This record gives sequence, C-alpha cells and structure tokens, in this order.
Amino acid sequence: MAANDSAAVRTEGVWKTFHQEAEEVHAVRDVSLTVERGEFTALAGPSGSGKTTLLNLIGGLTRPSQGRVWVAGREVSEMSNQELARLRLEEVGFVFQAYNLLPVLTALENAEFPMLLQGVDPAERHARVGELFERTGMSGLEDRRPGKLSGGQQQRVAVVRAVASRPALVLADEPTANLDSTASEALLDVMGELNRDLGVTFVFATHDSRVMERSRRLVRMVDGAVAADERRA
Amino acid sequence: MHARVLVMLALRNLRRHLRRTVLTAAAMIAGAVVMVFSFTLDDGSHEQWVDSGVRMGSGHVTVERPEYRVSRRIDDRLADDVRRAAEQALHSPELAPHVTALSARLGITGLASSAAGSRPAQIVAVDPAAEADFGTIDDQVAEGRYLEADDGLAACVGAGLAESLDLELGSRFVVQAQDAEREIAGQLLRVVGIFRSGLPAIDQMLIHVPLATAGEWLGSATDVTNVGVVLADSDATALVVDRLERALAEPVARGEVRVMGWEESDPTLATAIAVDALGNYIIQGFLLVIIAFGIVNTVLMSVMHRHREFGVLRALGLSPGQTGTIVLIEGLALAAASGLVGVGLGILIMWYFLGDGLDMATFMEGAEDLTFGGVQVDPVIVPIFGALRMVQITAFIVGVGCLSAVYPALRAMRIDVTEAMKFDR
Repeated sequence: MAANDSAAVRTEGVWKTFHQEAEEVHAVRDVSLTVERGEFTALAGPSGSGKTTLLNLIGGLTRPSQGRVWVAGREVSEMSNQELARLRLEEVGFVFQAYNLLPVLTALENAEFPMLLQGVDPAERHARVGELFERTGMSGLEDRRPGKLSGGQQQRVAVVRAVASRPALVLADEPTANLDSTASEALLDVMGELNRDLGVTFVFATHDSRVMERSRRLVRMVDGAVAADERRA
Repeated sequence: MHARVLVMLALRNLRRHLRRTVLTAAAMIAGAVVMVFSFTLDDGSHEQWVDSGVRMGSGHVTVERPEYRVSRRIDDRLADDVRRAAEQALHSPELAPHVTALSARLGITGLASSAAGSRPAQIVAVDPAAEADFGTIDDQVAEGRYLEADDGLAACVGAGLAESLDLELGSRFVVQAQDAEREIAGQLLRVVGIFRSGLPAIDQMLIHVPLATAGEWLGSATDVTNVGVVLADSDATALVVDRLERALAEPVARGEVRVMGWEESDPTLATAIAVDALGNYIIQGFLLVIIAFGIVNTVLMSVMHRHREFGVLRALGLSPGQTGTIVLIEGLALAAASGLVGVGLGILIMWYFLGDGLDMATFMEGAEDLTFGGVQVDPVIVPIFGALRMVQITAFIVGVGCLSAVYPALRAMRIDVTEAMKFDR
C-alpha cells in the first residue's frame, strides 16, 4: 500500500514484541495510526501502555517486529541504520523527559546542533535559533552550558533544538515530567505557539493531564494497543 | 561538516573530563619518555658496537677479492688498478663526506716464533698513519708505542701473543709466511709496542707491521689484500657499498673483487645487534601493551559514562559509525598530543641528563671489560636522537592510542538507542 505523503506519520498494523526469557511481551499491538501534518497529538496511557515504544518506532529508534511505519511519506521499517540516522536528522525532532542536552555544548550550540549536522549556513542557523530563543524566552542565555540552566530552561532549549531544523514532526516523550507546574505550563505554551504559528507537528507520549488537555487529538493506549482516538476542536 | 562536528565533540569531551584526560595522557607521555630513553641508548650502544667492531675489523665497508675472506692468503691481493679505482671513488665528492678513515692493508696468516716457541699469528701490514685514524689498536697500546711512518723492522704485538712468546719491548722475534712467489719467507722484527684490546682472540693472534716492511719481506711491494673504509654514520653503509660496486662494476662482474658492508663482513656482530634490538622491541611491546590496557580502561569508562549522550547523538541523527568515530578521534587526539609531548620531553630529559653519555661502569662492576658480539663494549653509552626513530616512537604511541580506542568505539557504535535513553533516567 502506498504511503499517504500528506501525513506526518502513518503506522499500519505495527507490533513490537520483546522476549524476556521464554516469555514474549507485546509492547505495541497492531497499531494503525495516521498523524497529519500540523497536528498536536498526545499518546496517553498508564506506564507500560506502549506510548514510548510507539514513539520510538515512529522515530526510527527501534524497528517494528511486524507492520510498517511511514514518516513524511518515507517507509521507516526497512531502512538501514544509516538511512534511519538520516531520517531522524532531516525529518524528526526529539524532546526527551530528561532534556538530554549535550553537556559539552552551550545552549546555542545545542539548539543549532541538528542544523550543524545538516550543514545549514551559520547565518541561517543563528537567525532561526535567535527567533526561537526570543519566542521561548531564552534570549541572553545562549552561551550557558546545560549545567547552568534550570530544568525548564533546558527543556526549552531541547524544544528549540527539536524545532529549529524544521522537521516533519517533533516527538516529545514526557516533556513535562521533570518540570514543576509553572515551567510545564510555560513549556506547553511555547509548544502550542510553535504548532499554531509555524505549523510544527507534535506527537507527545504523556500521562500529564495538562498536556492531554491542550492536545487537539488524544490517542489513549492500553496494553500496547490503541483504546481510543479522540479529536477535539 | 560532519567531520568538523565530530572533532569538536571529541575535543570538548576530552576537555570536559580534564583530570581523566590528563591522567591518561600522563601514562602515554611516561611511556613515550621511557621509549625515548630506551631506544636512544639502544641506538647509541648499537652504533658504538658497530664502530668498535668495524675499527677492530675491516671497516664499515671493505673491498677485497671474493676468496680472501676465507683464504687470508697473499695470493688474493687486490689488483693495483682495482685498488686505485676504489680509492678514487671514495675520494669522489659524493662519497668523501661519508668517509672518515681509509686503510689499505695486507693481511695474512703466518707463524710467529721466539726462543719461547711458535704461535700462529694474524699479520696485518698497515700504513701506520692511516691505520691510526682507522683502527683502535693505536689507542690500546699498553706498553711502548704504536707503529710510526719511518719504522722499519718494527711490530706492535697483542698482549696475549707477547706473553705466549715471552716478548717484551725491544724483544726480537721472527715471523714466517708464504710470500708473493709462494715460498716461505721469514722476517726478523722488533717489538715496539704491546697492545691490549680486551678481546682474547685478537690479543693472542694479531701483529701489526709497517706495509713497506711487509712489501720487502713478502715481495708484494705496495700491494694490499683489502681496502677498509670507516664511515661517519653506519647508516651510509648501503649507499657507499652501492656506489663502490658501480665504480668497480667490471671487476665485480668478473668476480675479481667484492664490496661488502659490515653486516656481511661481520655477521656475528650484525646478528648480535639484531637480537639485542629485537629484545628491546619486545620489552617496549610489553610496555605498550600495559599502556594500552590503561587507555582502553579509561576510554571505555568514558564511553560507559556517556551512554545516554551517545543515545542522544544517535537520536539527533548521527549514525553508529559517526558515534564510534567520536571515540576514535578522542583516542587519536589524546595519543597524538601525548606522543608528541612525551617524545619532546624524553629528548629534553635525555639531552639534559645523559647528553654526554650514560656511564654503565657506575652501575656495573667490570663494565670496562665487557664484550658483546665479538667487540669490546664501551661502558659509556652516548644516546643517539635519530629523527626517524623519534617519528617511530610517536607513531607507536599514536598507534597504541588509536588501537586502544577501537574496542570502546565499537561499544559506542553498538549502543541500543532506546536503552541508552532510559539509562540513568
């Protein structure tokens, strides 16, 4: 079946099975899902429901045991490691629960890092990150190393890093889990704005009710399968 | 662009864990210093052995008839035109700078007799002035003096032979050998000097006599059996042999003459040096292995410590090969810097403390009488700082540093990204 090129993500009958000793554990069961470009989607569910694994499958960090995954019209399932790396660099931005900024780089260098790998012109890199830092309230903190930033600030740098290279989608795994409520609200405001103003596609894995409330589509997962898929106005 | 980013990340990671980096570098620097110490002294002692061996023997290069090395007979004299061609080539602008001494000798076996009895002898007829520059016998005269230009029936005799024949300074004795007419001819000589080389085989056999005296005694005029050449640097041996062979191409092709380097004319010494050098390489190899384990341990710890970072890099778009490359660059940069610093430091230390030589007699009783590979060993070893050797030591250190980073790099490449992202969460 041909991929729907207008979709940011499409999965078709995806399974992910882990083998623990003699036992098979199905982390993701037969998930078929389409995320259109510009969506602000939350994958919600309790711990162990398979949301992070599904996010990893979409981002090409792990391969499906069965089924197919397309990102921006490109089939991920059969790609080589090299091709997957290229896909992540060009089409996917990641925001992690633990921020995961590179400690040897400044805030600015962290934010520019994917563009540095893409070979984007320095002036263009600075312009894009400068604008996003302005939007996210990070201006003036460009030269700080991650260790000198608060959790909220680090996560904002991580969001800028994920968005600045203009990927087809941003995958955010529990982005607010380590933040207090003020920092969480501020971060969600930033991501909402980026989605609304720049059309950035966000897919969250979360069990934070604030994220679920703000998402325009809520996919509930139970035991690795999609239990409900609600769209909101 | 990727390469620059990878280099930047690698260098910043080294700077980030400065203490670990400095400790690892210190181990490699210490290794390089030890290697400089060991190799410069080893090269120095080898050069001394070669110098001692060739001066006691037939030079770095010798020109002689092919049969002479075994026969040691007066029949195997060099043809006059061959000798002249060889000496002309050695005085040419290309070879002259390499040549420090040249001695044309007539060496034969014979019998030395006195009232105390007879002993086989190795009789070497020399030009006293040329031989004084060429050999070491003149420096090893224990009693009397060495031969002089206007000496007639004079001889400088090994201490062992003098003792056997009960000879003293001024004693007369007779030497007998086959002459140019294949007759046995005798000559009365007077002892003007007794030398002690430290090598029993030499001291019990060798007699130096003036070439002019031998020419009259044996009817060989100014003929010689070989032309020996001492060079400023033994590394030039192959070049000089090659040029002489070209200059003497026709007699060489006719089998009338042979040009030999010291390794061919003195295989015992060449083998002894090769064995000693191999031993040193093996010891240095062990040292490098120990250093390598230290580096592997440190770099591997650094990789494990950055497990999640490597996961992040992969998630951001680096391939497994690129994450491994970061680790390899770290190893290469650390090893290159350490190798250069270590070799530089080693040279400075050696130059400052041992530039005039390391006197083994300070540590070893009886070092003055030590022999090795058929030559007497000078107890003072003067280190040699060859450019090629320094490059070799740097290359060893860099090679070990890079090889030590291979396994940690493979570990970094094989990181499971999803597991790495969970790491330390």
